[in-house]
Amino acid sequence: MKRTPLYEQHLALGAKMLPFAGYEMPIQYAGIREETLAVRRRSGMFDVSHMGEIRVRGKDAGAFLDWILSRPVQGKKTELVSYAILCLEDGGAVDDLLVYRFADADDYLLVVNAANKDKDVAYLRQMLPDWRRRNAGMGGATLIEDESELYGQIALQGPESAHFLAAALREEAFSEDFIASALAMKNYRSLKLERPGKPVPLILSRTGYTGEDGFELYLPEAETEAYWKRLLSLGVTPAGLGARDALRLEAGMPLYGHEMSESMNPLEAGVGFACVFGRDFIAEKTMREGQVKKLIAVVSESKAIPRDGYELLYEGHPVGTVSSGSFSPTLDKGIAFVRVDKDFPDDAETFSMEVHRKEQPFRRIQPPFVKRG
Amino acid sequence: MSELRNDRSYSKTHEWLLVKENYAEIGITDYAQNELGDLVYAEAEPAGSVLETGDLIGSIESVKMAADLYSPVDGEIVEANTAIEDEPELINQSPYEAWIVRIKLTNPEQVNELLSAKEYDEFCRGGGK
Repeated sequence: MKRTPLYEQHLALGAKMLPFAGYEMPIQYAGIREETLAVRRRSGMFDVSHMGEIRVRGKDAGAFLDWILSRPVQGKKTELVSYAILCLEDGGAVDDLLVYRFADADDYLLVVNAANKDKDVAYLRQMLPDWRRRNAGMGGATLIEDESELYGQIALQGPESAHFLAAALREEAFSEDFIASALAMKNYRSLKLERPGKPVPLILSRTGYTGEDGFELYLPEAETEAYWKRLLSLGVTPAGLGARDALRLEAGMPLYGHEMSESMNPLEAGVGFACVFGRDFIAEKTMREGQVKKLIAVVSESKAIPRDGYELLYEGHPVGTVSSGSFSPTLDKGIAFVRVDKDFPDDAETFSMEVHRKEQPFRRIQPPFVKRG
Repeated sequence: MSELRNDRSYSKTHEWLLVKENYAEIGITDYAQNELGDLVYAEAEPAGSVLETGDLIGSIESVKMAADLYSPVDGEIVEANTAIEDEPELINQSPYEAWIVRIKLTNPEQVNELLSAKEYDEFCRGGGK
């Protein structure tokens, strides 16, 4: 079982630890409900050091990624962070990820789900020769490296994140100019700082998985604990994977393995915004034409809580299965994403689900379940 | 560490049973409520339900997990605790006061086959499964 650089911190905080993607991870500290509400109202922080970082660089790295990702990444501004799908030829998803760009053209960092990291590295390495064969003369110097062990990562999320980030950076003696640049970042932008003697740059991005304002901090592995302790002493609430899952579902965000997978077309997860068609990439036809389902969002109208795998009923007939179901601490109600047929009527509003052997009412809503702020 | 009470018996599925004058109360242990985390849902089976050992007496849920509760003995439910249905967090706060059901015992000698506080404690330290 692997441990992140923050393992001792979690134990000291009395976290409930459970194995996740081969790591011992904190599921909760004070409680999922308390942590979720702290992120919605103030600021919380997550140890996400278990996530994978895959470096793809060298001549033609961008062209290769353009081919294998759901959207092109070449030629964009360095500060842009792109959410994209790593695609199978048949239109399925190997993973969903964020693409960061370094200053040199053809130097990219893919941040991937912890559980898929080894699979993603193997897939990229397997597909590169394929792509090279189709593009004679290209990709000879493209390198794919697993840099996950070099980075620690903290996600600072909530309406007061900017305040806490600034305070922490100030205490770490960063210049006011740098702090101002960090705070001025818009959504899906990043800032990178190479520092002499450090194995990897410091990367800050205005990204997150909670639906609130927030930042993700990528740190040299050895510095992760110091940043965590600083943020803790400033008053940020530590939050675990339990709260992380409640928050992302409330925010209407998909989770790989639930809303998309190798056998579930990503368009069915509502991530069409991350797909650019009408170009020559690996899944151009198959992904665009392969959508057979769509997601709808339902809220419980009773105390019943929907769970993964439960069947949704419309006028007494089963019409779909819950892909992610949970209790929303913010709404104080059960919420769920349900996969239904692509052509299921948009005006259907009232549903039911069997929960604890009783038929319980559910109402369809337009996601997200909880809006920012 | 989890709290234990010596005045009652325990099951390997983390229920406690407390014999009172003409009924027994059943709830979940401190160890169990701690494992589950903040409870957001609780429901007891209704009065009148006739139970054999292992039959359903209620359901409780935390944000992430749903758990069914089972009777450790044969009996009949005489009262369901409605307070916990409105405030499931009572079970987290006072697991040994927030009973789930009160039952009439069909075979009172079954209580002797349950675990003592000490035996339950050892069971939990050994993994609790």
